[in-house]
Amino acid sequence: MDQNFLQHFLYPSTLFASKEPYVIKTILGSCIAVCFYDPVLRIGGMNHYMLPNWNGNDLLSPKYGNVAIEKLTEKMLMLGSKKENLTAKVFGGGDLLSPDKSSMHIGERNIRVAEMMLTEYKIPIIASSTGGTKGRKILFDSRTGEVRHKFLNRSER
Amino acid sequence: MANISDKQLMKELKIKLDERSKLENEVKMLSGELQIVTQRFKESESMKSHFISNISNEIINPFTSILGLSKSILSVQKNDWKKVVSMVALIHSEAFNLDFQLRNIFVAAKIEAGEIMPNIAKVSVKSLIQSIIDSFNLVARKMGIEVEFHFNIEYGFGKNFYFKTDSEKLKLILSNLLNNALKYSYKDSKVIIKVNYDEDVLSICVQDFGTGISEKNQQIIFERFKRLDSGINSINRGHGLGLSIIKSLLDVLDGTIEIDSTKGEGSTFTIKIPESRNIVDSFSGDGNDLFFDGDDEIF
Repeated sequence: MDQNFLQHFLYPSTLFASKEPYVIKTILGSCIAVCFYDPVLRIGGMNHYMLPNWNGNDLLSPKYGNVAIEKLTEKMLMLGSKKENLTAKVFGGGDLLSPDKSSMHIGERNIRVAEMMLTEYKIPIIASSTGGTKGRKILFDSRTGEVRHKFLNRSER
Repeated sequence: MANISDKQLMKELKIKLDERSKLENEVKMLSGELQIVTQRFKESESMKSHFISNISNEIINPFTSILGLSKSILSVQKNDWKKVVSMVALIHSEAFNLDFQLRNIFVAAKIEAGEIMPNIAKVSVKSLIQSIIDSFNLVARKMGIEVEFHFNIEYGFGKNFYFKTDSEKLKLILSNLLNNALKYSYKDSKVIIKVNYDEDVLSICVQDFGTGISEKNQQIIFERFKRLDSGINSINRGHGLGLSIIKSLLDVLDGTIEIDSTKGEGSTFTIKIPESRNIVDSFSGDGNDLFFDGDDEIF
């Protein structure tokens, strides 16, 4: 991946998509990042959500999976992509807390939302690395759709 | 057309019928789903229209006063300066209000679009809070409310206390808290702002002696567009976004908020923000070499 590309660090509960080639980076724990790539226009976008579904109370922000995936899809369509061309890669959703403690299973629920929504939108998941007990570092090249992925050891965070 | 026996005909009809009832079921299911979606859409639509009626008051009222006041300034006699000064003060307070509300709305839109991110710098907390208090000075004076400011941080002799955080977001959070405290205070009371620092966590508490919030209502005040006194008779102005903005901004800063309130006696809002570790710096630039050490997977 070329160092000269523009870079964007994706913060939690934000999303990013651009016509320009970007390297989008993020760090995931139980959060999920969905990377959309359009191989026809060669553009891509990514979101980073923390919780599965909007609770109806807070601001309607991409902190929630159902909002984040919908908004990223809209954004890709706005940039000129066709829905049938989009492909998705899904990362994250690890259980960083010890499994018996995390009775909430946020990671798992986050993964399920991504799978359900992408099936509903008929966007194929062509690659994914989800679950587990480790955090992840992700680098997404929006021009090629290539994702570099590395596990983080617990001590690093 | 080939001749077919009765049996075959019946079989064929049965298949067609089955298909039909299947489709009918599907249609039923879909229309059920549609009804749910419509219901949700209606709810959100009514919230939005409520919001728009709030917001139009919020924007149009100040504008009307600004326009009216400036028009009457134009027609004032030249030697009548005292009148002008009081009208300019009114214009200023209306414009200040407008600016504050618009800032809130734009930040809310930015949060919802997923474009909000921390912009970390060293912030002099004391002067930041002092400037917020100063900007609300006129409003406070008008209501006869005294704003007390206790800065309980010892930080070397003659030195300033700096804290790594996002100054714009902290400013908006505190402005909203102070605005609420003033809005729900009684006349001639006071608002106390206390600042403490403990193990890399900054805690700021804003206390008023106003109407207070009942325990049941403490759960719902963070919801967007929710206002406890919404409706045509509400005395106070507002769009019901303040606290939900505070909460979202605190998410960005990893902070928390707590309420302690008794109805009729006033409320205390305490926010706690950890010092930012500035994650961008540690992962951009040189952080990349970690990705090229051979054992990263490519998808």
